[in-house]
Amino acid sequence: MLHVLRALPDMFRVSVAETVAYRAEFVIWMLSATLPLIMLALWSSVASEGPVAGLTQDDVARYYAVTMVVRQFTSMWLVWSFGYEVRTGALSSRLLKPMNPLWRSAVEFLTAIPLRGAVLLPVLAAVVWWRPSLLAWPEPGALLLAVPALVLAWLLHFVVQVCFALLSFWIDRSEGLFMVYFAAFAFLSGYVAPLALFPAWSRPLLDALPFPAMHAVPTELMAGMRTPADALPELLVGTAWLLGLTGLALWLWRAGLRRYGAFGG
Amino acid sequence: MIEVDGLTKVYRVPVKKAGLRASLASLFAREHTEVRAVDDVSFRIEPGERVGFLGPNGAGKTTTLKMLTGLLHPTAGRIQVDGFVPQQRKPAFLQRITLVMGQKQQLLWDVPATETFVLNRALYDLDRTAWQQTLDELIALLDLTELLDRPVRNLSLGQRMRCELAAALLHRPSVLFLDEPTIGLDVEAQVWLRRFVRTYNDRHGATIMLTSHDMDDVAAIADRILLIDKGKVRFDGPIAEFRRTFSPGRRIRVTRGGDTLTELGFSADEHGGATIDVPAERVNPLLQAVLERLPSADVTVQDPPLEEVLTKAFGNRDGPGA
Repeated sequence: MLHVLRALPDMFRVSVAETVAYRAEFVIWMLSATLPLIMLALWSSVASEGPVAGLTQDDVARYYAVTMVVRQFTSMWLVWSFGYEVRTGALSSRLLKPMNPLWRSAVEFLTAIPLRGAVLLPVLAAVVWWRPSLLAWPEPGALLLAVPALVLAWLLHFVVQVCFALLSFWIDRSEGLFMVYFAAFAFLSGYVAPLALFPAWSRPLLDALPFPAMHAVPTELMAGMRTPADALPELLVGTAWLLGLTGLALWLWRAGLRRYGAFGG
Repeated sequence: MIEVDGLTKVYRVPVKKAGLRASLASLFAREHTEVRAVDDVSFRIEPGERVGFLGPNGAGKTTTLKMLTGLLHPTAGRIQVDGFVPQQRKPAFLQRITLVMGQKQQLLWDVPATETFVLNRALYDLDRTAWQQTLDELIALLDLTELLDRPVRNLSLGQRMRCELAAALLHRPSVLFLDEPTIGLDVEAQVWLRRFVRTYNDRHGATIMLTSHDMDDVAAIADRILLIDKGKVRFDGPIAEFRRTFSPGRRIRVTRGGDTLTELGFSADEHGGATIDVPAERVNPLLQAVLERLPSADVTVQDPPLEEVLTKAFGNRDGPGA
């Protein structure tokens, strides 16, 4: 672990150089995360007739503006890159290094965050200019809790992607399977529609899943739509999922390496 | 340094028959067959040795190399490399080895090679001063100064291989596995790479295991040959002994007056010279006969090229290869 900490500055330096070099790929990934803008337009129009499930037009607009920020923060592509490396055998050279290659992937995704932020900022400025009432700061407590909530969301996204990526050791296209999961995530996490729109009877079930902690909790905290006390139970559920999924990922890693065919070369 | 005992690797490969019916049937019951890629292979390599690992295509060389580096888990048998069991992938083991693959690269494609060197410093947890010293030595040995600031994608294959070698050696590994290192390189780059590997071995006493399709690589780098065929070791010994075993003769070559020697069994070539391969005991009488006919002839007696020896060893089944 100390080795990883010592390696971080150099890994970040190289990762920034790579991210800047892959400009086109970077922009495409950013564009793929513009769904919240579409949802913003859609729900904003619905809420113009009057509040929907207690959400005003401003609430909806603020929710999707923050959703865009959170999604840029938690967006990653490990399932695709790792699957490709397993299929082509490109993983071999990374496996020969005395550090688990997933550390480098984690650094790669973290590096992208400030760069994505730089691109996102003008878009957010435009949204605020269009609707100045959006710029309502949440309570300090909620804003403070949003930081660990975002970290937890990022970790959950990462470990879920690691699990799906590691399935590449067994199946040819784990990306397909991941897309099935992603559809469930999009609907059950509050990414497509705020969780307030779900029927009351479904909430206990939803709250037992990792999805709210992966999106709705940090988003609602930052949008001032959830108090810290309301967020804690789901953060605890999310933490429990994180521990369980990390155990699963470690098992898949060990079992997967035994299956690895190191094709090519 | 490297001890391999009863090493076996069996792959379970799905069988896919052609046709719609077979495709649909495979959805429900997939057939598999077992391929024995490496079969009860044993050998031992001492520290500092340079070993050429040869065999026809599909003989099991690359599979063995991947098991020696810990990328593949053996089905049976025991491996120890520098005291480590490779498939356990302990960091201390990975610090001691390197694998250079001519067909795969570790260099980051869109950034200058320097970024890969910095990344490797981090991944191998190298001391900054030691890393800089090694890098300076490799830059001088591999003549990299001009290449360091250019994105890797803009380098030629030969230039990339030089940077690849630097990236692979920055952590000063004691065991080098080279898998087809000269594939695709032009002749000048090949000669240059062979010389570099020899120099590195002389300076650092590293153990080298090499597979190559190019027998000139093997002849220039290795002192010992391990020949593997159908997953089994068929020969293990010095190159000279390998030549004697598979082609016990010598080659006599005359540079001019070739057409006068055809009655002795020589094959004349278009440059006026002639060549014959004969068993060792016939060399002296034949030399005498040549000198009687051509007293001032320029005659050389040599071992047949390794390439031809290998072709003889395998017949024309798959051609020589690694």
